[in-house]
Amino acid sequence: MTAFTVTFDEADPDDVDRLGGKGSGLARMTRQGLRVPPGYVIGTDACRAYLGDSALPDGLVDEVSSRLAALEAKAGKTFGGGPVPLLLSVRSGAPISMPGMMDTILNLGLDRSAAVALAEVTGDSRFMADVVARFHAMYAETVLDALDPGSGIDTLVDAVDPGDDPGAVYDRVWAACEEALTDESVPRDPHAQLIGAIEAVFRSWNTRRARVYREHHGIAHDLGTAVVVQSMVFGNLSDDSGSGVVFTRNPVTGEPGLFGEYLAHSQGEDVVAGTRTPDPVAEALAPDVLAELRTTCDGLERAQGDVLDIEFTVERATLYLLQVRSAKRTPEAAVRIAADLVTEGLATPAAALRGVTVEQVRQVQRPGFADSDVAAARTGGRLLTTGIGACPGQVSGVLVLDPDRAGERAAAGDDVVLARTVTSPADLHGMIAAQGIVTATGGSTSHAAVVARALGTTCVVGAGALRVDETARTLSVDGRTLHEGDQVSLDGATGELFAGRFAVSTPAAATGALGDLLAMATDGAEVLARVTLPADVAVAREAGASGLVTAVDDVLVATGHLDGLVTHLLADDGGTALDGVADLVAAEFAGLLAAAGDVEIGVRSIDLVADEARELLQQTAVTTRHPELTVPLGRPALVEAQLRGLERAAGSSRVHLAVRHVTDAAEAAALRELGQGSSVGVGAYLTGPRAAFAAKEIAAAGDVLWVEVRTLQASVFGIPARHLLTAEPLDDYLRRGMLSCDPRVELDPAVEDLLARVAAAQDAGCRVGMRLSGRVSERMVAQLYDLGFRRFAVDAGEVRPMRLALGKAALR
Amino acid sequence: MSATVSDKTDYDVLNVVALKKMATAQVVAAACGVAQADVEATFDRLAAQGLVVVAGGAALPTDGAEPALATAAGVRYAAVREDAEIGGLVDRFETVNSQFLTTMSSWQQIDVGGRKVANDHSDSEYDDKVIARLDKLIARLGPLLEALAGHDARFGTYPARFAAAVDRIDRGEHEYVSSPTLDSVHNVWFEFHEDLLRTLGRERTE
Repeated sequence: MTAFTVTFDEADPDDVDRLGGKGSGLARMTRQGLRVPPGYVIGTDACRAYLGDSALPDGLVDEVSSRLAALEAKAGKTFGGGPVPLLLSVRSGAPISMPGMMDTILNLGLDRSAAVALAEVTGDSRFMADVVARFHAMYAETVLDALDPGSGIDTLVDAVDPGDDPGAVYDRVWAACEEALTDESVPRDPHAQLIGAIEAVFRSWNTRRARVYREHHGIAHDLGTAVVVQSMVFGNLSDDSGSGVVFTRNPVTGEPGLFGEYLAHSQGEDVVAGTRTPDPVAEALAPDVLAELRTTCDGLERAQGDVLDIEFTVERATLYLLQVRSAKRTPEAAVRIAADLVTEGLATPAAALRGVTVEQVRQVQRPGFADSDVAAARTGGRLLTTGIGACPGQVSGVLVLDPDRAGERAAAGDDVVLARTVTSPADLHGMIAAQGIVTATGGSTSHAAVVARALGTTCVVGAGALRVDETARTLSVDGRTLHEGDQVSLDGATGELFAGRFAVSTPAAATGALGDLLAMATDGAEVLARVTLPADVAVAREAGASGLVTAVDDVLVATGHLDGLVTHLLADDGGTALDGVADLVAAEFAGLLAAAGDVEIGVRSIDLVADEARELLQQTAVTTRHPELTVPLGRPALVEAQLRGLERAAGSSRVHLAVRHVTDAAEAAALRELGQGSSVGVGAYLTGPRAAFAAKEIAAAGDVLWVEVRTLQASVFGIPARHLLTAEPLDDYLRRGMLSCDPRVELDPAVEDLLARVAAAQDAGCRVGMRLSGRVSERMVAQLYDLGFRRFAVDAGEVRPMRLALGKAALR
Repeated sequence: MSATVSDKTDYDVLNVVALKKMATAQVVAAACGVAQADVEATFDRLAAQGLVVVAGGAALPTDGAEPALATAAGVRYAAVREDAEIGGLVDRFETVNSQFLTTMSSWQQIDVGGRKVANDHSDSEYDDKVIARLDKLIARLGPLLEALAGHDARFGTYPARFAAAVDRIDRGEHEYVSSPTLDSVHNVWFEFHEDLLRTLGRERTE
């Protein structure tokens, strides 16, 4: 008798192969003592039998009937009748979730007498009409593959009065629904509906999309899907019924305490549809139900160590949980929740860190406007208009009204805010170039909104007061006129457009809860930050950098004195001590080194073959005149001059100078020789495979050793290193399956081999570090951590993401 | 300038160039079903008329392109505009289109306690549901595309492009849902919508 089916309370939650994901989840909840509406699972073995014989296996129909009788008894309801009708939900549930499978059919079990009973017990014929229409459409669509019936049915349902005669209403609505179907029919008999739905679930295992998915992901075609049959509960049976959604903590801010909404005398759809305004759970729920909900939420949160999102229904004062999921949350909430869960002892640091991604950290620390500046701008009349926030972010830039000119201004280095009446695909190049987009028309689903979100660009749509005059190149708002090129500021969350610029700074959230969380993460590892200007130092330290790195060429570019260096080199006859270069370095590094104080700072020496500064360094001219400058120690005097300059500028700083592209023990020894007697340490930047082979000897001769991971990967792949910082050409190349490893986010096995040699060279005398550029990847950081590296240098904005990634790697 | 595009191939090619703003012959050929060599020849003709500029193998529309297309569409699709069946299907498209846009938003953003947050695609069950819904919405374009293809076979390229995008999504290439730089479901849908409006001589509202 129990060959194919098993009830939630009998089932073993671990038997996912038989129960499928959803069935296993419901069995687990039931076992935990949570009250879920009763039901049962038809195991995957029945599906396999069905697919093999193209017919339901013997005995299944009888089993379904006897399970149904048990459900009726348990729920105190009648399938296909009154006084309270039993309605069912039927869902597919494969062991592995996949696309193409049949979704849910709700409200199954409505024949005429059940519909009449439903209207009578709820006192609402209109509700019944809605349930009947919804069931019919869902069944027609998922079982019969029919198209949606069009708006005629909605109009008909809307016209029903709650007090109308239930029988007549059912006949009218059912007939109209059937008429909208062209050549098939939804069975009137609830038992036939149930069997039809079960077969449809089985069939959906073999839809084209499901097969493609399984083939691509190497999932066996003979697993089969389970079917979950569950009784439905109603929140609109009485005044002590209702439905709601609750989060165990506030998912927007992360604040502790139940956060959610409840609507008495309603079904869940009313809350979602926004037809009635729900109330906060803490105010609207009856005290004993609220107390039960609190206890349940606390228990679940403690058991799962995570914040949960719970859908529930109260049917005649009895609380039922419909769904419990890990709650979606804002990046700010994710960080605060992770920190709080550890403090409250509900999660280990390892588990808490797993709940946060480097991308969330980037968003939390994303610079924005100061609240006080925005408030002052509002009262000061700088707020031009408010539209609909479509993609969050706070940006200032020059106003441009045309996509071509947006591209030109952006190429010239301006931050651009593109304003359009409406956008179309033809505007894409301008939208890509812009930092912010604002449109006069459209809602949060318009083209501009969809594209902006895909690009991650701050966007406001539907700012209806804007008038764009493309000919005059002006933008007018309520009698004020702005010209193209004027400064404006945009807030993609609030939808506000301001005249003028705002200063941007790191938000408080990045230094508060995020600081607490990261403090748990980076125990025993060093993260150095790339800086260029004295002001960068405080920012890097605030982010938690334990040290700093910079480069001579970067500093000279930033201070505008790179020309001076080039002039010196071009004028040089090859025999001088290059005192001019020493003077330049001493002068230009004084500020940065003073700001660094006693914090370690690593300086990369001038690299005349660097890809990054080819034009600025006038490489061709300089290296044609001095070919010896293209090899690391071709001109020892240049290294000496930089050492002297740094020594003069250093003060109390702990400085070292590292030379790029060193590959040989002899080079390292020569460098050691040059550094004799200087208070500035020396070392090497390794960039190629050959250097990794000599890592031990190079490390032995130096104070520091850095590996430029991106450059090393690029050289192993034979791809220019700059392509490892951009989407193309690698996105397309990887999509075509041309590379088994994406060198931007993971270490290639060949590089891992090389780095294992470097790791073996780590000893007490020499500090070995990994220099990462661009966005850090959690995967790559974990690989480097596993190789034994604990010292890293990253771009300034990546210090916090790096600390998180390291913490996650360490606490796996 | 009153250039005309009375020739069918000219119209089809210029239409795609105007939709894409910048397109190579290969891309245009795939989008309108005209052989690539013919597209190249058409580029030359259109360039001579001042309707496109060809640079680096890609055609860009001039300011004259849109008005020329609008005028030509008025003649070419007069019968479509009067087809009552298509009229009914287009009315229904408006509903499907707004459902599509809402679904596309739910792919990109999730609702968190009343605030929209970028979907980080960590919940594959959620993503699968959205994709299933997109797939259904695409299926609902079927009757309209079929009816349009009855007037002009070039509309038959849209189902093929949708199928190609969905196929890639099912293989796990989820950027084919909404990427603005690929032939993603959103891009194909949007181009179809623009194309439909031009065919019918209507203006877009958002």
